[in-house]
Amino acid sequence: MKKEYLEEIEGDMEEVFQESLEAHSVRKAKRIYTFEALKLFRPVLIKNLVGDYRLNNYGMFKNYFKVGVRNILKYKTFSFINVFGLAVAMSVCMLIMLMLADQKQSDQFHVKKERVYRIICTADDYVLPWASTAVPLAGTLKTDYPIIEEATQLIKGIGGDVNYKGKTMEIRGFFSDPAFFNVFSFELEKGDKNTCLTMPNAMVITSSYAKLLFKGEDPIGKIVQLEDRRLDHLGIDGEDIRPVDWGQYTITGVIADLGYKSHLKFDALVSVATMKGLHREKKTPNLTDNWWNFDHCYTYAVLKPENTSEDLNTVLDHIVATKYEDQKPEKGFEMEGQKLGNISPGPFMSIPISFRMPIEAYYILSFFAVVIMLLACLNYTNLSIARSLTRAKEIGIRKVTGGKRKDIIYQFFSESIITTLLALVMAVLLLLFVKEAFMNLWINKYINFNLEGTLSVYLVFIVFALFIGIIAGFYPALHMSGYRPIAVLKNFDMARRGKLGIRKILNISQFSVSLFFIVTSILLYNQLRHFLEFEYGFNTENIINIELQSNDYSIVSHEFSTVPGVTAISACSFIPTSGHGEGRLLKIAGSEEEYQLFTALQTDDGFIDNLGLKLVAGSNLPASENGSDHFIVINEFAVKKLGYGSAAEAIGQVLEVKRGKEVLQVIGVIEDFQFKALFEQDRNASLLLRNQPVKYQHVNLRVVSGNLMNTIEALEEKWKAIDPVHTFKYEFFDEQLDSMHSFFNDVVSIVGSITFLAIVISCLGLLGISIYTTERRTKEIGIRKVLGAGVFNVAFLVSREFLRLLAMAVLIAAPASFFANNVWLQNFPNRVSFGIGTVSLGSAILLVLGILTIITQIISVSNRNPVESLRDE
Amino acid sequence: MKKTKLGEFEELVLLTVVVLQEEAYGVEIKRELEERLNERLSVGSIQSALKRMEQKGFLTSEFGEATKKRGGKRKRIYSATPYAHRVLTEMKDVRAGLWASMPKLAYDLKII
Repeated sequence: MKKEYLEEIEGDMEEVFQESLEAHSVRKAKRIYTFEALKLFRPVLIKNLVGDYRLNNYGMFKNYFKVGVRNILKYKTFSFINVFGLAVAMSVCMLIMLMLADQKQSDQFHVKKERVYRIICTADDYVLPWASTAVPLAGTLKTDYPIIEEATQLIKGIGGDVNYKGKTMEIRGFFSDPAFFNVFSFELEKGDKNTCLTMPNAMVITSSYAKLLFKGEDPIGKIVQLEDRRLDHLGIDGEDIRPVDWGQYTITGVIADLGYKSHLKFDALVSVATMKGLHREKKTPNLTDNWWNFDHCYTYAVLKPENTSEDLNTVLDHIVATKYEDQKPEKGFEMEGQKLGNISPGPFMSIPISFRMPIEAYYILSFFAVVIMLLACLNYTNLSIARSLTRAKEIGIRKVTGGKRKDIIYQFFSESIITTLLALVMAVLLLLFVKEAFMNLWINKYINFNLEGTLSVYLVFIVFALFIGIIAGFYPALHMSGYRPIAVLKNFDMARRGKLGIRKILNISQFSVSLFFIVTSILLYNQLRHFLEFEYGFNTENIINIELQSNDYSIVSHEFSTVPGVTAISACSFIPTSGHGEGRLLKIAGSEEEYQLFTALQTDDGFIDNLGLKLVAGSNLPASENGSDHFIVINEFAVKKLGYGSAAEAIGQVLEVKRGKEVLQVIGVIEDFQFKALFEQDRNASLLLRNQPVKYQHVNLRVVSGNLMNTIEALEEKWKAIDPVHTFKYEFFDEQLDSMHSFFNDVVSIVGSITFLAIVISCLGLLGISIYTTERRTKEIGIRKVLGAGVFNVAFLVSREFLRLLAMAVLIAAPASFFANNVWLQNFPNRVSFGIGTVSLGSAILLVLGILTIITQIISVSNRNPVESLRDE
Repeated sequence: MKKTKLGEFEELVLLTVVVLQEEAYGVEIKRELEERLNERLSVGSIQSALKRMEQKGFLTSEFGEATKKRGGKRKRIYSATPYAHRVLTEMKDVRAGLWASMPKLAYDLKII
């Protein structure tokens, strides 16, 4: 009888019985009652045959929870292995989620964010799309195309020092127009959005910058002096020229500091109208109507609400078709709109407007995180299956007492979820360390992550933990819930057969992944060491490089040469192998040959000697005087490229520069040396040295001195006398070269730590399995020992299975890692040799680690006194 | 009308519930119906009809008072829902309509 009907029907029956008692004898009344009772067997009234589940759900979940917690507490080692492994992997995943969450919040404050597009350029020859466009694009979009509601531009160029009442501060920013505030929703603390960028020489600064420069004074209407030093807007000191006076600017607005997260980073915006004057004075190139220059301007457009990105792309196609009717600037040149929301996180771009972690990097990091997470989940699965032998009786009993498969599945899921929630707590703690380690990477000097995390991110973490719980518990739940109670309760060995197979496969795949990572990180490390110990072909010892910071080289060199300890001085336009360098297209004057790409390095006459470069033929560059700058020194590779038989043949030859009518004469040939960045190209590239004092940016000092620090102090004293504004920036050449591999160093650190985690997790898994198996075999080993087996015999017996696993992993992963790593390595210039040695080293490390993991178990089990293991039965 | 699915016996029980008002609980309904139909009914038949109609939404119920005669068990008092009233009226109308058209039909036949 259904419970909710019971009282009523019982009452009814009682009443009917009482009535029939009055009418009939007790016996008849009872008989009637029995018949009535029998007639109550109706489908509507009786309980479901299957039972009603809603009634005791809560109780069962309580029971699952209790059993789960007890299991975790009972097998502390296994629980720890599971929780720790999962926590480590989760913390890595969470770090990436934090990074993504931070980037996702970027540019969310703009009111028109759904309709704002950045225009980007692509062409067949561009490896990456360009984030920048031609300067006149914004104006054309706004005036000629009605679907564009508004368009604004950010033109590069503000980078120098501002001076206010004797206080000098570095400033970086863009030229922009009044539409800027219509496209983006930056609020002004002071000033009028509509007019602040209309007048020439108007400047809008950020609130934080205003605080530093004006120290509490009201900035509006204040006049500052701007000196241009062509500093890069990205914050890396690029081209560094003599300061040029750009005149006076009036502060017309202050952008409120409302914690904006945006991909736009600037200290100041200067009105585009200012540029007219600067063009007139030839202080900045006039690109106002230049459709052929693409690296100076960023264009942003707002579409009308009814238009889509396709409309925008049609418009852009039309512009390309009309503006470049005769000839496209590059083969396959096209422009397209990139939605504001897709900029950060977004794909890797050339000429970026700010440094962002490109989406590709997230893919790679996420891939690593997923691999680690999978390893941890495999651990859980593996240990759960191993323990299924002990759990089988429980499952059998549950089933016999009415538990259905669904219930067992629920039970195992609740257990795995409890484990992952514990892991979540641990992971949040671990995250503090992981975050710290990550923030210490070199790359974070340029990318400002805010990894604080919000409530919603933490909610995502919880959902993530639940999800991982389900993934980890998936196989055990489905597998173990399928046990047939009779088989399990009668003789479990029946159900055991074949289960070892899947466990082995899981172990093998874990170790294969680990080995892959080990080999990769050894290779990366070797490559890094190869870079650090690289033979550049020039002398770096005792050389200090000093940034000229737009000062006059002749004064600087004169002053520095008086410092005791300085033995030689030279100047150059970029530090070799720093990744900088100008390209020049040259060919033999008057010939029909194709132009050859040269890298131009502007140096003085002391450079070749100072760096210990070897002249093969001809003479050194002449000292700088009028007319000396058309003499060049080229390297041997260039000699070959130009088609000369020998170095001597090239001396005195005249080369012409493309698009410049300039004529250069070769007066010397030097041996090849590494001047391109190591990961860019090997030394097979053409180079020309040329003496052009205006291009000097660095001073190379050879210092031979007993006390280096004293010399540097003396140099700094001199510097302060020459340039009181800018700080003295110096670097030891050899250290400077090493620091050029910072990015590669980051890659090695990341892959290295991922490898470490992978190994730790796999070894923990192996440890768990070995503890379990040896425990299971205690009796067997006891009997073997009683029958006369020796310690080594037993040790071999126990470890044989694991060694086989490790060997299988090596067999699979060693060739795989060799081929996979060769794929990227082949495209790498200046690569380290990679062969059987590295792979064998990795395999050896894996085997040693694997054996170290199980050795304690094996020793303890081999040495155990058989009396102890066989005593109690 | 189509989807009401009210059986003949159910309709009788439902009408009895409406008639009995506050007194409409299992045994009272049984007693009333036995008197009107002049036949014996089992507790089970009444109860299953009640439960089925409750599931279909014709009836609602709540516990009433307990009496000594019921061995301290509470009664369950049933009452018809507005939906039930509507369905009952509809059925009555349909029947009345049918009755109304019957003699006319016989008359028409005569003429032929």
